Amino acid sequence: MEYEFLVNSVLHKISLEKKENIFLVSDGKKTFKADICFISPNVISILIEGRSHKVYLARDKDKMYISLEGEQFIVQEPLESGESFQKSEEKSQEHELMIKAPMPGKVIKINVSEKENVRKNQTLAIVEAMKMENEIKSSIEGYVKKILVSAGDLVDSENPLMELVKKRGVP
Amino acid sequence: MFKKILIANRGEIAVRIIKACQEMGISSVAVYSEVDRESLHVQLASEAVCIGPAPAIESYLNIDKIIQASRQAGAEAIHPGYGFLAENSEFARSCEKEKLVFIGPNSKALALVGDKIRSRQTMEKAGVPIIPGMKNIPKDLSEYKQAAQKIGYPVMIKASAGGGGKGMRIVDNPKDLKSYLEAGQREAKSAFGDESVYLEKYIEEPRHIEFQVLADNYGNIVHLFERECSIQRRHQKIVEETPSQALDLKLRTLMGETAKKVMQVSGYNNAGTVEFLLDKNKNFYFLEVNARLQVEHPVTELTTGVDLVHQQILIASGEKLSFKQEELFQRGHSIECRIYAEDPVNNFLPSSGRVTFLKEPKGPGVRHDCGIYSGCDVPIYYDPILAKLIVWAENRENACQRIVNALDDYVVLGINTTISFLKEVINHPQFRKGKTTTSFIKMYFDKWEGKKKTEENLRLALIASAFDSFNKTYTGKSAGPAQKEIFSPWLSLGKWRLGGGK
Repeated sequence: MEYEFLVNSVLHKISLEKKENIFLVSDGKKTFKADICFISPNVISILIEGRSHKVYLARDKDKMYISLEGEQFIVQEPLESGESFQKSEEKSQEHELMIKAPMPGKVIKINVSEKENVRKNQTLAIVEAMKMENEIKSSIEGYVKKILVSAGDLVDSENPLMELVKKRGVP
Repeated sequence: MFKKILIANRGEIAVRIIKACQEMGISSVAVYSEVDRESLHVQLASEAVCIGPAPAIESYLNIDKIIQASRQAGAEAIHPGYGFLAENSEFARSCEKEKLVFIGPNSKALALVGDKIRSRQTMEKAGVPIIPGMKNIPKDLSEYKQAAQKIGYPVMIKASAGGGGKGMRIVDNPKDLKSYLEAGQREAKSAFGDESVYLEKYIEEPRHIEFQVLADNYGNIVHLFERECSIQRRHQKIVEETPSQALDLKLRTLMGETAKKVMQVSGYNNAGTVEFLLDKNKNFYFLEVNARLQVEHPVTELTTGVDLVHQQILIASGEKLSFKQEELFQRGHSIECRIYAEDPVNNFLPSSGRVTFLKEPKGPGVRHDCGIYSGCDVPIYYDPILAKLIVWAENRENACQRIVNALDDYVVLGINTTISFLKEVINHPQFRKGKTTTSFIKMYFDKWEGKKKTEENLRLALIASAFDSFNKTYTGKSAGPAQKEIFSPWLSLGKWRLGGGK
């Protein structure tokens, strides 16, 4: 059985084949045997070549949140439509940049106006979450094309805040 | 003794206080905002009253609604916890007027110590050492500018109405003064409902040492020794411990007696904490009084054997302190780590959302004061503290190892937490040596990026994902959405059959 997963927008393939009580695992590079079982609905035990691994896993919608040996992973099942997995930042035209909310919160202040020139690291907006103010800074030198939110708006993670246009000739 | 207490708070501290009420045979009333209907404190309390919409200003900071909820439920006393209305003297006054007992200091003492400027003047007069700073709240920028010049940069902006790092900024450069003042005022306004900020001299690389004090209504005062809270990020404590490595018996006694004097001249009663800065030459300066139960109170409880919430309730109900200073001792070592919903590898951005799975650490000497559970939602509206992990051990070295093991044994899925960061802080050689100052995090963890993810662990994560999907496809079983109760015997017994043992 073949599976495809996205981790940090990178596509990974892995196949599992059940042979009696053991699984044959193949990740494209190599094939090996693994003894895998549920300890509880959120805990999976994996034995590979005698080494024991304990993996914590919980699903929420299309995402699987995973923790093992203190490392965290978010593994996503790709959407069936087979859309491209590039970040929309990269998809937009090269000289334009969409500034997005880094986390859910409330827009406290918009520090720039449309058509205004911005420097690199200039504060564009302030978003508050959990009683801490977070400054959203410009990663480029350019100007503000369009502002999509206003002070007082609640935003979700990855919500577009404003569109910037990069100054030509400046990396 | 009270029969019913209302807890005007949420999260882990509300849970902590409700448990104390249960232990003392007191009925508890939780209050909650509309987004907190499913919160742990609502589930645990004997009664629960909704007090309004999600924004704190319309619910947990709404004095009228909380007083009304108390009367409706027939509570005799209100415990404010920490944050929100805990240090709001108007709230304490409203309680007094309504004949409700405010479990905290009297409103007059609260107003005095809550006014950081007036309290400093009082302390200065009483001969308590203080840090140079402003003696009033200026009306405009030019006054701030003048004061900053006079005190000398770097200066610290501090909120007049509260602590916890909210509204606080260090200004190194005069050109940043204006924007930092504005940001500080906004934060102070949203956290405490009061935008007043003032300036003081910033002492570089000091240790933060505070003394826990209990004072009854009859003038008896004891201190329960120090807590060192030097490990801070953005002026927010993240690791606390006791005893401090910087104090010896003589200095501890001197600072403890000074703390008692501070409370005496303030006319203070109930539990409170006197904060000091200790410089490298072991000079100490009075900072402020935290007129509430502190987040870090458990380390004092574990080393002195005194339950501070019980004591608060006893004192508020009119009991005399049942022990004297000379009966109090420190035993062993205790460390606390605050677990915040923040992403340590992404500039500590707040992380809200669904906790899809929680595994609480357990073991000898491990205490977990927790406000979340598997399947709960962490809202964007409140402080990001989720829980506190506290350990006790015979000595500091063992306590460090014990808390690292407990952090290893601690799993939160669905949102980001500071667990991995805290582990590295405790494991840092300078921390192990006890070389802790308030600049520790800035000095050693400024550019921290977290451990690099290994290929092997990624492969294991993919195998686990595939295995989970495999079971979902073939048996219809899977980890499914968050499991609300993981310790159910139906899950932990494994496969069995009625009469199967015959």
